[in-house]
Amino acid sequence: MKKKRRSGFIIACTAPAVILFVIFMIIPTIDVFRMSLYKWGGYTAEKTFVGFENFKKLSQNPKFYQAFQNSVLLIVIVTLVTFCLSLVFASILSREKIKGQNFFRIVFYIPNILSVVVISAIFSAIYDPNQGLLNSVLNLFRGNKEPILWLGSQKLVIYSVAIAMVWQAVGYYMVMYMASMSNVPESLYESASLEGAGRISQFFSITLPLVWTNIRTTLTFFIISTINMSFLMVKAMTNGGPDGASNVFLSYMYQEAYTNSSYGYGMAIGVTVFVFSFALAGILNAVTRREEIEF
Amino acid sequence: MKFKKVLCILTAAMMVFGATACGGGGNTDSGTGTPDAGTEDTGSAEDESAGQDADAGNEEADAGAETETDAGESAGLTGTLKVAAVETAYGADMWKDVCAAFESSHEGVTIELTVDKKLEDVITPEMKSGVYPDVILRAVGAESGLTETFVKDNNLVDLTDVLAMTVPGESVTVGDKILPGFVENSICNPYGDGKTYLMPMFYGPCGLFFDQGLFTAKGWTVPETWDEMWELGETARAEGIALFTYPTAGYFDAFFYALLHESMGNDKFQEALRYGEGIWDTPEAQTVFDIIEKLASYTESTTPANANDNDFQKNQQLILDDKALFMPNGNWVIGEMAEAPRAEGFEWGFTALPAVTAGGERASYSFFEQVWMPVGAENQDLGKEFIAFLYSDAAAEIFAKSGAVQPIQGMTDKLDGDNKLYYSIYDNGAVAVMDAFAATDAVEGVTTRATFFDPVNSLVTGDKTKEDWVNQIKTDSDALRAALKE
Amino acid sequence: MKRENREFGASPGIVKFFIYLVLALLAVTILVPVAWVFVASIKENAEFYRNPWTIPQGFHYQNFVDAWQTANMGEYMLKSVLVTAMALALLVVIALPASYVLARFKFKSRGLWNALFMGGLFINVNYIVVPIFLMLNNGDIFLRKATGSPFFLNNLFILSLVYASTALPFTIYLLSGYFKSLARDYEEAAYVDGAGYTYTMVRVIIPMARPSVVTVILFNFLAFWNEYIISMTLLTRQELKTLPVGLMNLMAAQKSAVQYGQLYAGLVIVMLPTLILYMCVQKKLTQGMTMGGLKG
Repeated sequence: MKKKRRSGFIIACTAPAVILFVIFMIIPTIDVFRMSLYKWGGYTAEKTFVGFENFKKLSQNPKFYQAFQNSVLLIVIVTLVTFCLSLVFASILSREKIKGQNFFRIVFYIPNILSVVVISAIFSAIYDPNQGLLNSVLNLFRGNKEPILWLGSQKLVIYSVAIAMVWQAVGYYMVMYMASMSNVPESLYESASLEGAGRISQFFSITLPLVWTNIRTTLTFFIISTINMSFLMVKAMTNGGPDGASNVFLSYMYQEAYTNSSYGYGMAIGVTVFVFSFALAGILNAVTRREEIEF
Repeated sequence: MKFKKVLCILTAAMMVFGATACGGGGNTDSGTGTPDAGTEDTGSAEDESAGQDADAGNEEADAGAETETDAGESAGLTGTLKVAAVETAYGADMWKDVCAAFESSHEGVTIELTVDKKLEDVITPEMKSGVYPDVILRAVGAESGLTETFVKDNNLVDLTDVLAMTVPGESVTVGDKILPGFVENSICNPYGDGKTYLMPMFYGPCGLFFDQGLFTAKGWTVPETWDEMWELGETARAEGIALFTYPTAGYFDAFFYALLHESMGNDKFQEALRYGEGIWDTPEAQTVFDIIEKLASYTESTTPANANDNDFQKNQQLILDDKALFMPNGNWVIGEMAEAPRAEGFEWGFTALPAVTAGGERASYSFFEQVWMPVGAENQDLGKEFIAFLYSDAAAEIFAKSGAVQPIQGMTDKLDGDNKLYYSIYDNGAVAVMDAFAATDAVEGVTTRATFFDPVNSLVTGDKTKEDWVNQIKTDSDALRAALKE
Repeated sequence: MKRENREFGASPGIVKFFIYLVLALLAVTILVPVAWVFVASIKENAEFYRNPWTIPQGFHYQNFVDAWQTANMGEYMLKSVLVTAMALALLVVIALPASYVLARFKFKSRGLWNALFMGGLFINVNYIVVPIFLMLNNGDIFLRKATGSPFFLNNLFILSLVYASTALPFTIYLLSGYFKSLARDYEEAAYVDGAGYTYTMVRVIIPMARPSVVTVILFNFLAFWNEYIISMTLLTRQELKTLPVGLMNLMAAQKSAVQYGQLYAGLVIVMLPTLILYMCVQKKLTQGMTMGGLKG
């Protein structure tokens, strides 16, 4: 009787979530995988099964490699820079005695709550070659030389996007790390400073190991959100330009699937992105595995 | 009034296509000449109901041939027509007015109108599910490639019979009313099978825009050949003004077509549009690439940074601020920049492209929007009737009030002020070019825009050489040629 | 934080100064651009073609009136509020019990569902939106035949349901992280007192999870409020647009003049609710994360 009640409770609690999840996420995802094997324009009823043809074409297309390269570059840069910055700021704000600590914590989080449209409007005004904030400030130091084309130079554009993304993400991860740092028992630091350990060595010997689990989790978030955010940012800021130099996975997918009547090909890109991000997260998860430290 | 109109029609027809105008205009079924048709126009515009009856009969016969059944009930067609139009510089109101005019002249018809700046975002989801608007106004060459998608998919209703329909409320056929040349081109006949799938709507000459006031003040003359252009480039550079800028690389389509036409002549031009084998190695094509390469070196250096959908107006502002001399554009730019501040004495100037050789052809691309019907349209007969109505004087006047000019006999003379300047470009000997790259099946990973036009940004920044660009064009042309329709 | 800094090394003043400098710099790079958006929203249209960093010539509040009335932002706002509220309610009601059970009960398919929800984190809405649309549309086509009226598309409730569903993996991940960190004692004590499963969950466990729920609500509020791709696809009728989709129509489109003033006023209208909500719950946000929700 009790067992029956128990399984009844389990089913009642999980069924709604499971049903919705299957209907609105699993089935559409299976559909994406299926469509990646077809040649389909997107509007007509005519679908031709082409097997792995779309993937073959993908592997031969330099534009896809460019988008791939940009995505990987962004994942690496944005993750590394955001990670370092937010970790440093988190430890400053949670370990140091700072006036206005609360103020900084609130302010740093603000970019995360802005919509991408606002962010792209902001950075368009910052990156403007002639009147932008960035070039105006830089001109104070380097004189009125040729303006730097933050969004116009193919070598710079992807880094310009990266800066905007870091700006947007630092606060979020900082708050996350602060949350887990505040769980670290104060006594550990006290005994460490009695032993004469400085701030920096405390950071590496206490803080870092103890928030490691949290860091590992955020690595997965970094991958997922960079892939998604880079698309939204690029779409709003440059639309992949100039000349495709800032295309990322999903912006390239978007162009092909919705504007080049190659829906099947676009879905092949979608599948690639899914598999790639899944594998990358898996690898990172395995590489960063340490023995958990309980506290 | 009447007399003036007749005159307009004559001049307009002459103006655009010179000699061919007579041939095109004389082709009417009724045997009347162009002027006659024009006189009829004026009468029926005021007396719509009379013409309406005559027309309804005509329509029924037409409807009988088709399978759709909406038509048979009463004297005319009834039902709900779904119309979707992109909102451009002309605004949304003119569409509301035209639809209202259609409803009031066609009893029992209601129109569901969708007008949006991002039309494809609004209508695409429904279309994916098989619910299509009956009539869509969206031009080829848009960023979204909506129209191209339908062309690629063979998803368009054959509109050839609309040309033979009588304009509702008038006695002239649609085909006769449209200026010659606007239907007989590779955009409206994308498959080259002599059938018309897209109908020409608002048009405007594209060419180079500049500040006439600056030229007057400096005593410069507008260059007539590219050599003069380069000379001017040096003169301007000495004064700290760049010769050239462009809103986005996409604006090179009109520019590229016109330049190709100047350099190659029509036959080879047509071959190039079908990605002819070896066509890009010909000296004529090389001339075009050389000119664009050189132009890139004269381009205002910050242009690529703003050459995206967000910031392109900053490039257009360069012209208004006298920081660059020329930009390729269409007449919509005036409305687009109406509120923008400008240099003192600024005055819009407009010219066709300079000639490749002295005394050679000068071309101006005639950009026009298209109206078409997807195969999935439910009310095809009513849709065709609506399209025919768009060419009526009543509709044309509503459009013209917002500055939208259709390629209809007699329209250009009703224009005033600025607009007249642009449409009179062909008076001054410029050749009108209005074709576009031939339709292909979808080639995954290749779009004409990314292949031909986007790399101009790279030429300006120096990230690609002319050779890189031409090689890419050749490779992609091979792929596109293999996917040509037919 | 409560601890005094006992050792400052050689020059504590300089270190402190440096720390403040860096913090202040970062704060400035955030506050200035955000303030700039507010300032831009009261500029007149013509001012936008000039240097973006100039001070507005006057207080052009007409932008807000225009955005609210002409551009229909008021109406869109209502739709957005409705959709966001419904989606959040659905999400919390559905995700809370599921995460609780998935985290704390052992049953056969538990591993499978945990893995699937985990994998769901990698599914990107941008590519499943069309399949979702087609599925709903097929449902509509069937319903039209069966009952005569479509139901799934252009339905604010269905949109909320889709929002809630796509947010499930992340939410369940977040909440079950918290539930896993709880000690067994709470439930055992309740069971000993004779409480049933449901009673224990609703009366004992969920109240403890309140900070985590606040975190979930804030995160998802931001996501739902700013979302436009799903909304644009599933709401095809003009009168049903949500705020971000309405905003899109104000954005720069080629070949037409942009109403910059209205656009920036619109941006502020979209931004304000998120700022206000964040100010209200920001204390709880850190708390919610602290409670173990994000320990992973």
